[in-house]
Amino acid sequence: MSALPSVGDRVPVLEKTATAVDLIAYAGATWDWHRIHYDPEFVAAKQLPAPIVDGQVYGAWFVQQLQDWLGPRCFVESLEFSFRNLMFAGETMRCEGVVSAVEGDRVTVDLTGTIVGRDGADDRVGVAPVTAVVVVGRADGPAA
Amino acid sequence: MTLLTDEIRALVGRRKVYTAPEPFGRAAGRYYALAVGDLNPLYTDDEAARAAGLPGVTLPPTLVTETNQYAGLPIDEEGYAGHTWDLDIPGTRQVRGGNKYTFHRRIRPDDVVTATWEITGVEEKTTRSGADMLIVSSRATYTDADGGPLAENEETLVFVALEGAK
Repeated sequence: MSALPSVGDRVPVLEKTATAVDLIAYAGATWDWHRIHYDPEFVAAKQLPAPIVDGQVYGAWFVQQLQDWLGPRCFVESLEFSFRNLMFAGETMRCEGVVSAVEGDRVTVDLTGTIVGRDGADDRVGVAPVTAVVVVGRADGPAA
Repeated sequence: MTLLTDEIRALVGRRKVYTAPEPFGRAAGRYYALAVGDLNPLYTDDEAARAAGLPGVTLPPTLVTETNQYAGLPIDEEGYAGHTWDLDIPGTRQVRGGNKYTFHRRIRPDDVVTATWEITGVEEKTTRSGADMLIVSSRATYTDADGGPLAENEETLVFVALEGAK
């Protein structure tokens, strides 16, 4: 996508499933080896149904979604998100977004991350509200 | 109003500074991109990066906010080896509120990052169900070896009183 989007435009939906392998890989890549993200005994002792997905990964998913949509010449300038419900290993999040403002080359997108149940229906909100501001037309930020 | 003690108020302004012992490196970005399932060639393909106007591959933007890699701290009994404020607030459970990231430029493999964490505010509120909660706000500022701005990460931690229903 090269032209500036318009208010009301929808970002193509991104669905991300976080398998046990994904959680291990993320723990390694971020140097975060907290047992709550992979250890069944530790998780059971905490009375949780499964290892918890590290909420910071949602930020990476939203950046992926925005960059895949707007192409290589865009720069995510800010990303703000509030956690609502825990997401567990094996679950899927559906990331959705809509453009809420366009000012010059800055596009504001309102996003949500909904956790999908095993039957494919919406189960609960994982992360919302999410607000991203993306600069379109250049690949890097002002300090580059 | 029981959670917001003088001791808690005194936390505001507390700082911790961590500087990475080496440049980020290309492999760290490639590993993180693979782990999150983002196969954008900007992270792995110099030609694709140059075609977009960048000097070469850069790292996925959110990786800079993962502070453990700079901290050089020992692994605790729960497996954690990263930055914490060691806040032990009896009778509460800690939940994460949210984050706000601000990015100033993409991270390059040769960047040596310094993360400076600071507690920026504490306040007490009441949950919808009537429990007291303490909200601790902090901010990490990420800078390069010359002190140039890379990113900020404002983080909210919430401590909810376990028996706080009024």
